[in-house]
Amino acid sequence: MNYGFVINNRKCIGCHACSTACKSENEVPLGVNRTWVKSVEVGQFPDVKRHFQVTRCNHCANPSCVRICPTAAMYQRDDGIVEFDKDSCIGCKACMQACPYDAIHIDPDTKTAAKCHFCSHRTEVGLEPACVVVCPEHAIVAGDLDDPLSEISRVIAAHAVTVRRPEQGTAPKLFYIDGHDIAMHPTAANPAPKTYAFADVISEQNRPEHHEPTQVNYTHRSGSTARYPATQGVPERPIQVSGGRMAEQMVQVHYNAQHDIPWHWPVPAYLVTKGIGAGTFFFFAMGALFGLFSFDDTALIWGGGIGVLATLATTALLVYDLEKPERFLYILLRPQWASWLTRGAFILIGFSAVSALWWLGALAGVLTPALHTVFALITVPLAVAAATYTAFLFAQAEGRDLWQSPALPMHLVVQSTMVGAGSFLLLAPVVSEDLYGAAVATFGISVAADLFMMVFGEVGIPHASESAARAAHEIRSGKYRTMFWRDAVLVGRAAPLLLLAIGWAPTTALAFLLSVFGLYAYEYAFVTAPQEVPNS
Amino acid sequence: MSVFEFLSSMLGMRGPEAPRRASGATNAAGVAMPEYDVTDQAPVDMTTVRQSDGRMSSYPPVDRWDDWVEYDSRAWPRKVARRYTLVPTICFNCESGCGLLAYVDKTTFEIRKFEGNPTHPGSRGRNCAKGPATHNQIYDPERILHPLKRVGERGEGKWKRISWEQALDEIAEKMRKSREVRRDGIMYHVGRPGEDHYTNRCISAWGVDAHNSHTNICSAGARAGYYFWAAGDRPSPDYANAKAILLISSHLETGHYFNPHAQRIIEAQQRGAKIITLDPRLSNTAAKSDVWLPTWPGSETVLLLAIANHLLQTDQFDREFLRRWVNWDVFLAEAPNVPDMPELPVGEGSFEDFVACLKTLYAGFTFERAAEEAGVSIHRIRDAAKAIAGAQGGLSAHVWRSASIGNLGGWQVSRCLFFLNVLTGSVGTEGGTALNSWNKFVPKPFKKPPAFSAWNHLHLPHEWPFSFFEMSFLLPHFLEEGRGDVDVYFTRVYNPMWINPDGFMWLKALRDEEKIKCHVAMSPTWNESAWFADYVLPMGHAGERHDLMSQETHAGQWVGFRQPVRRVAMERAGKPVQFTHEANPGEVWEENEWWVELSGRMDPDGSLGIRQWFESPYRDGELISQDEYWRWIFENSVPGLPAAAEAEGLSALAYMRKYGCFEVKRTNYVPYEAGVGTDGAEVDGEGRVVRGGEAVGVVIEGEARVGFKTPSRRLEFFSRTLRDWGWNETAYVLPWTLKSHVHPDNIDRGKGEMLLLPNWRLPTLIHTRSANAKWLYEISHSNPIWMHPEDAGRLGVITGSLARVETEIGWFVDKVWVTEGIKPGIIAMSHHLGRWRLAREQGGNPGMTALARLSEDDAGGHRLNILEPGRPWKSVDPDTSRIWWEDVGVHQNLTHAVHPDPISGAHCWLQKAVSVRRAQPGERHGDVYVDTSRSMAVYREWHALSRSAVDHSPDGTLRPYWLKRPLKPTRESYALPEKPWGRG
Repeated sequence: MNYGFVINNRKCIGCHACSTACKSENEVPLGVNRTWVKSVEVGQFPDVKRHFQVTRCNHCANPSCVRICPTAAMYQRDDGIVEFDKDSCIGCKACMQACPYDAIHIDPDTKTAAKCHFCSHRTEVGLEPACVVVCPEHAIVAGDLDDPLSEISRVIAAHAVTVRRPEQGTAPKLFYIDGHDIAMHPTAANPAPKTYAFADVISEQNRPEHHEPTQVNYTHRSGSTARYPATQGVPERPIQVSGGRMAEQMVQVHYNAQHDIPWHWPVPAYLVTKGIGAGTFFFFAMGALFGLFSFDDTALIWGGGIGVLATLATTALLVYDLEKPERFLYILLRPQWASWLTRGAFILIGFSAVSALWWLGALAGVLTPALHTVFALITVPLAVAAATYTAFLFAQAEGRDLWQSPALPMHLVVQSTMVGAGSFLLLAPVVSEDLYGAAVATFGISVAADLFMMVFGEVGIPHASESAARAAHEIRSGKYRTMFWRDAVLVGRAAPLLLLAIGWAPTTALAFLLSVFGLYAYEYAFVTAPQEVPNS
Repeated sequence: MSVFEFLSSMLGMRGPEAPRRASGATNAAGVAMPEYDVTDQAPVDMTTVRQSDGRMSSYPPVDRWDDWVEYDSRAWPRKVARRYTLVPTICFNCESGCGLLAYVDKTTFEIRKFEGNPTHPGSRGRNCAKGPATHNQIYDPERILHPLKRVGERGEGKWKRISWEQALDEIAEKMRKSREVRRDGIMYHVGRPGEDHYTNRCISAWGVDAHNSHTNICSAGARAGYYFWAAGDRPSPDYANAKAILLISSHLETGHYFNPHAQRIIEAQQRGAKIITLDPRLSNTAAKSDVWLPTWPGSETVLLLAIANHLLQTDQFDREFLRRWVNWDVFLAEAPNVPDMPELPVGEGSFEDFVACLKTLYAGFTFERAAEEAGVSIHRIRDAAKAIAGAQGGLSAHVWRSASIGNLGGWQVSRCLFFLNVLTGSVGTEGGTALNSWNKFVPKPFKKPPAFSAWNHLHLPHEWPFSFFEMSFLLPHFLEEGRGDVDVYFTRVYNPMWINPDGFMWLKALRDEEKIKCHVAMSPTWNESAWFADYVLPMGHAGERHDLMSQETHAGQWVGFRQPVRRVAMERAGKPVQFTHEANPGEVWEENEWWVELSGRMDPDGSLGIRQWFESPYRDGELISQDEYWRWIFENSVPGLPAAAEAEGLSALAYMRKYGCFEVKRTNYVPYEAGVGTDGAEVDGEGRVVRGGEAVGVVIEGEARVGFKTPSRRLEFFSRTLRDWGWNETAYVLPWTLKSHVHPDNIDRGKGEMLLLPNWRLPTLIHTRSANAKWLYEISHSNPIWMHPEDAGRLGVITGSLARVETEIGWFVDKVWVTEGIKPGIIAMSHHLGRWRLAREQGGNPGMTALARLSEDDAGGHRLNILEPGRPWKSVDPDTSRIWWEDVGVHQNLTHAVHPDPISGAHCWLQKAVSVRRAQPGERHGDVYVDTSRSMAVYREWHALSRSAVDHSPDGTLRPYWLKRPLKPTRESYALPEKPWGRG
């Protein structure tokens, strides 16, 4: 048994019956949609068409939402249906980041993830999904792809079909007959108009800063006028280029469902506090292990104190950002081990426990040098893991190509080291001079390294996918350019380096604070921009 | 206990909420959200059922409808089973009459959802977006639950709750008083009837000319054109079997009949039929068409006649059909006498002479001319002509509203369109276009009151003798002129102030207690006009009433039975229900029981002769019950139904309660060819078979056939009726082109004038009725002005900019939607949206209406200003606090002047936009201004186009008797009045 859909765009008349039948069958609240009819207009009067695309969960054969879910609230049934269990969901919204199709939302009633679930409460007893039943045109076919005699198998055998965004490796099982590139490609008509043809536009997505097409020409050595290569991955015009008399009118979205972005300020804030928490102990432990500086319990009590506080804040932010914060323990009690959210939770717990014990030991004054070494030995890998696991989590977010960066683990280590060592810059009066010196040096090097990685790393380098390129473009030259260049680069990196050069303790402390500000600004842009690139 | 459960309980974490379990019957609609019981029964396992087409099962099998268990979708994946009884009913959103199946909880009798009824021959188990949304209307937190009576001034918004007893007594008394002195004092003004005969029977029983409809703002133009040809006022295309489909309206998103037709149109296209659509706007239908002809409005007739001419000149027409069924001999004999008729080669009067005449007459309608006038590529016209020529016998063509209601002379659009059906021999054939009367089945009730002897001149004044039907939208203008008054004015599923053009004239009329003495608004929910009523009576939605409905959705016949589903469910559960309102929410009545009670009280002692028609055929002297009414019909008037019921061991009524529909005829082709008995009949000089003074057939090649119901019993290419009633010109007596009021000559685009296309629907809405359906409004809530980029560039607007559109009598301000999907020079605005309410907390739904203020000056200037857009609000439905949109549309009809067509009486909806410009500071979204003194001036301009029966009637009557009226009075009532209004 392997359920899938075929949607025949030749038959679809864009009536939205499937949308309301789904609302009715599944009692879907206002503001969210499990299925909707996207429509696009393409062409130039009178050679213009409107194309409809029933859009929903693809019940992927390799569902990234299932892999990332920390509690198996999102799971793949043996019959191929990607199902959700609202009673297990903690509302972390990771599945929404993992879905490259904008198919998942948070149900405002239950505060848990929801989406098309193939009406499995119906299919389980042999009834078709509600959308299939209602469709005036029988444009939606649901059935068993493994059964060669099923209607769906025969339809697929007889038609050329296509799927949305196969490059994401999710193996979608919703096949379109006459799928239209303009409708299937989420950024084909970019940005969203100020109003749709019969609905307000309120989406948080698809709101890039508008740039008039800027095509720059030069005279080629052959004598002909040639175009300079444009920015990689960021076409200035819709993917189907035609000579519009007004921008965007040749290809425009006529109607689409709208999506909030799942993660806001708590996530970049968590990245900063986690960086500090892991970084302080990492710096201290490395120093302790390799004798980079002399220290006493006071240094650990103060520096580790900052780290412990930051780690507590990290946990608080993580719980706060859950839609169901009271269920935060589900991660530990119902772990789904393929999820880096689960793995990360255990790493964080391990790190928090060890670092807190070490710190409490210092507070109690019971630590011997040998014990310090033991704690340092255990802390170093845990701190590195705590700092970097987020890179693996972000890499599981199949819907955010920019986050899926191989450089990210390294970048997180550098950032963590920067703000970890940097924390000690506040502690000049209570730490040894050589510790302070080591902190300044480590901080300075990390700031410089991070500056390099920021400008020439994720944001600067050309990207493999258009989604990643568009997000990076927004950070570099679009909506987030001020946040990136002024706040993150100038104030957050260049200024600290200059302040360090002064060599006065208060300005050095200020350098650290600016780096924290810059880190938050960078992470905010890095977390937000990819979520604003539409996936549907 | 698992580790998880143990730790969870130790940590005080709540487990999944136990499903709510109801213990008894509830009646939540309007006051709470519905709840459902839980059952221990398991659902029937349908996985073992193999469908022949490889599909899973779509519906519960009928034999399980009374006890059906389903898993709760919200509790899922926990398996919480709920138990329903499935009651079929009929949708009451658009006019298609699609089948619905209500899932009624067996404990609470609350409705869980509406699915399609798989046994319904028209909709075949499928629905559009509006079918499932019926649930929203039932559980709308803003619905009216009790009768209300006005206590302040009209429109002041002060109401008190009264009992139905009081409402019945007071209104019946007023009706009785009126009926005692006159036969034209009561007016029943209906928007969507949603049923086929019940109310009309009541009106006949009252003996007054009370029926007023919305037809003249809707389909009058199309009806007239079809009627002059064939005495059928609607087409009934057999889309499913068509070879080519020619549409002048958007039947894939609206139209008569959206869902049933859309199914069959696409089926035909999948089989290879070509769809050709005429529409200046890229409708969804146009987008799905094989050939889109974006014609300039008013040019449709030229294009159609160009195709006709092509068929004629290339001899690709059905000679045999024309020879048999067209009144060509009448044409040859009488057309030469038409004063402006071109010289015709009538020859000896043979059929071939007729063909020669046709070729001569239409020779000027070339593709080049059509391309020029329509502004459409000649290649597309050729493609369309080729497809139509190739569809001999199988052309399904349809116009409804659209161009036929848009243009002055729009009735010629349907006439020219049907001309193509005639030329291709596609009349009533398989794949062709039939007449509605052949496929719509209206059974006879138990007792039929005789025709009334009355003529209400506010309905059909002498100036418009052909009007299809009542000149309903001119009522305020007639009242303003002092033509009469109304004692008791019922509005039902009708919001005249909002839906009609020139709404501020309606405002004036509705406020005038001298002219409209009592206004009773029958509506489930608030609307703009009910706000000015004296009584607001809450009536039931689709699942809360009885109606019998049939529509000509395809080449077959069916009847559908709308049922109050809670009532039926309760009766199935052994809870007797005497009146539907006992089962309905609050004190919501169904009209049928209301009419019986009201009529009974209007004539308590039977002295007016009214009461007899409402007495039960089964119980002497008692008023009839709904069970009795429908039982009689199903047992006596629906052929085949009693036998089908008996085969299942059911009574006919029980059969209909179970299935909700019955297929009377599977297929129905060329019924006009049916033979007719000639016993006791004579054949008159024109070949008509006459029995008892009435033509019942026609002799065609020696065989007596039923033919058509026209005076000649044949298809009237040449209309004697038009000629005889003062329209003795070529352009009227024949299918021809008439110059529209929005012809390019009348719209000076150089001066910035544009054409406003205001009369089109979205697939998700239906007039003002859908405003209480949250799922529909979530999808579609705004109606920006569609504008071509060229025009947008000229005006300096982009999508989202505000523009001000000035019409003949006023202006409005709305957002712009720039699109390539509209012809340059034309702007378009969907008509559903722009609802308002005048009080913050009453009179409309805050998420679907804007809070507005009406104001006026002394000189006839009126304003509508939006004080607050749509917004979320708190109610028993948590969804109302999640309303995320603000724009609920802009009302445009207020700014439309009335344009009565002199022939069809249709309001010609297309508007000349005198100017369109970017809004200036101070002009806000939704602002409307109208100068009603201009309203009357424009009315008079159009009135001057009419040709009165007083001047032209050939027989001293007000209207040709053969033309349809929803309720025909006695022949004597047709006599011209001694003192016609306006004639000294």
